[in-house]
Amino acid sequence: MKLNEGISGCSYRVKKLSLPLRLTLRLEVLGMTGGTDVLVMNNKSHGTMIIKIRGTRFALGKGITENIEVEEVKS
Amino acid sequence: MAKMTEAKNRSVSKGKLTVAFIGNPNCGKTTLFNAYTGANLKVANWPGVTVEKVEGSMRFQGYDIKLVDLPGTYSLTSYTMEESVSRDFILSDDVDVVIDVVDASSLERNLYLTLQLLELGKPVVVALNMMDIVEKRGMEIDLHRLPEMLGAPVIPVSARKRKGLEVLIHAAVHHNEQRHPDPLIHEHREAESESRHRHDHHSEFAMVYSDDIEDKIDLIKERLKSRFPDMPNHRWASLKYLEGDNDIKKKYPIDIADIVPDSLEDKIINEKFDFIEEIVDECLVGREQKAAVTDKVDRYLTNKYLGIPVFLLIMAVVFFLTFTVGDFLSGYVEVFIDILNTSLSSLLVSAGAGEAVISLVCDGIVSGVGGIITFLPNIFMLFLALALLEDSGYMSRVAYVMDGIMGKLGLSGRAFIPMLLGFGCTVPALMASRALEDKRDRMRIMLVTPFMSCSARLPIYILFSELFFGDYAMIAAYSMYVIGIAVAIGTAWFIHVFTKAGSENSLLIELPEYKMPGARTVFIYVWEKVKDFLQKAGTTIFVASVFMWFILNFGPSGYSSDMGQSFGAVIGKYIVPLFVPIGLGFWQIVVALIAGISAKEVVVSSCAVLFGVSNINSAAGMSSMLTQLSDLGFGPLNALCLMVFSLLYVPCAATIITIKKESHSTAHAAKCVLFQLLTAWVMAFIVYNVGSLII
Repeated sequence: MKLNEGISGCSYRVKKLSLPLRLTLRLEVLGMTGGTDVLVMNNKSHGTMIIKIRGTRFALGKGITENIEVEEVKS
Repeated sequence: MAKMTEAKNRSVSKGKLTVAFIGNPNCGKTTLFNAYTGANLKVANWPGVTVEKVEGSMRFQGYDIKLVDLPGTYSLTSYTMEESVSRDFILSDDVDVVIDVVDASSLERNLYLTLQLLELGKPVVVALNMMDIVEKRGMEIDLHRLPEMLGAPVIPVSARKRKGLEVLIHAAVHHNEQRHPDPLIHEHREAESESRHRHDHHSEFAMVYSDDIEDKIDLIKERLKSRFPDMPNHRWASLKYLEGDNDIKKKYPIDIADIVPDSLEDKIINEKFDFIEEIVDECLVGREQKAAVTDKVDRYLTNKYLGIPVFLLIMAVVFFLTFTVGDFLSGYVEVFIDILNTSLSSLLVSAGAGEAVISLVCDGIVSGVGGIITFLPNIFMLFLALALLEDSGYMSRVAYVMDGIMGKLGLSGRAFIPMLLGFGCTVPALMASRALEDKRDRMRIMLVTPFMSCSARLPIYILFSELFFGDYAMIAAYSMYVIGIAVAIGTAWFIHVFTKAGSENSLLIELPEYKMPGARTVFIYVWEKVKDFLQKAGTTIFVASVFMWFILNFGPSGYSSDMGQSFGAVIGKYIVPLFVPIGLGFWQIVVALIAGISAKEVVVSSCAVLFGVSNINSAAGMSSMLTQLSDLGFGPLNALCLMVFSLLYVPCAATIITIKKESHSTAHAAKCVLFQLLTAWVMAFIVYNVGSLII
């Protein structure tokens, strides 16, 4: 599934980023590397989200979240 | 600390030392830097505050220390301007020691930059900031293991409470003297031994990669060493080669196609984070507790439905405070100005000064400058409210809340931050547009930000809305802000639709934890603005008032008390036909508006001089002004047109210069000025003609 389908309050594990190289690297240096758990804090209907990666909150636009492949983490 | 530093100041200089401060955005770096230098740098709880490096100096243990504050950054790649500026500066011979400011409350993310810095090979001292937040959350950091794993000194500090400052700078000085640190005690959890040759990096470097990458590093290193024996850090350059860094490839060209066909940047980042996870596992005790407060507050402030209404409500409160509390305090300043004017005038009379001199001092300087000073409380309140919003961490939430609307304009929510800052002052707001990556986005934001109503326009609204709109004064003034936002957003939308301008840049912004605004930070912020305002009153507005007095009291036939014969009237009457269609066909108003290009407050100070009102913001001053305006036939509709025109035309000379500087284009600045004048004229024209039909 894609990250923008994520439900607020649930955790997801990053599988793959299908974004332009520059943006991918920018996200990676913020800690969003493959295998990282992402907690969805807030999801507006169109995919603009607040997520928490490695203890830091980030707001991400739809253009980013719909291109991040994730899998649900069963808690 | 002051005493100790003083004592050391007397000692002989041991030499010069340059210490660079670097850290992630929101890590408290600028606060720490200010604590040392006493410099009043602006601090805000959103990324991109330090847009260029700032320097300060101090003396410690016989060293003359130059402190350099670098822009906040998450990493040291060469992708963005800020990052490559920081990287080149640290690599240069100018820097002796690097202080890496780390937000202890988000160690995991902050350590990425730390590892990159350590790889650069310069002495690094880690300043562990925000330890109080860590403790509050019930966590602890193992301060023995952390420096051991990093191979660099780690000093806990509190920038806000000014704790640990002396120890930190001591460590920096000491670390510079001891350039070769002890061997590291560190090994990977799952050590692999697939390598073709033995690695001894574990005793040299904190960050050791997998055997596969280490092998490649060694091969490239050998090649670089034989080709460029004198280059400073072969291991770091080899790593950059593996990452496919173009800067390094250009500077030290070698062929490595046989070693590594593709960039391994992805893998290198991953391995760094793996190591960071190891560090955090070993050094951070009890990291299960969550920052519950921020999550709870965010549930409302960034709610899907409540986000925008809450934002509008907060802004309404900001302006309510600005107008009501500000006005209440203004009363006291007015009394002071009145007393000053009366005593100055009697002093000048008793000193036997001539009529012209008394007129210059009382009608020119005191009316102009004094009239503006009475708006200081309003401006103080506005900046106080903005400072609280910025320091609490709300500002970046606004980017998230507004992302939907901004998306329709082809911009990310982040572009709204410069616009919001425009409520304070247009100049720093224009500078904040640097945080936008896309050049076209930046140009667009620079074009529309001046439409956001800055504090300098406030006196115009307060004066004219109170003069003409009585009980509805606050609504009239508030509507100017709404019109400003509407015109700004409308313009951005127009350009988006017609030029298809709009970047693919999606929103990406850190949302810091909410915190109680710090008294010192807020004080510095507000004081800077108040100082700017007073300086402007003492310089631009002073000069403009004196100049206005001259062109209004001198005419082709010399000094005359009849303003209708003055140079000002001649100029005003010449241009006035242009302003008739927009309800501003009064030469006095035209002169005030032209003078207002120097600074928007000058519109009001000029009116004070033009209408000979000594205390324009007081009840008596207003009633005198109202009578004179009414006699001219200037009514509420004209006042509204004046407010709209003032809102939208060129904010001030400083803005024009800033646009030119930021866009590196005189043509763009000229286009902006022309566009603003045209927009102001058209909007005032619409208001006047629609209004005339209704009334």
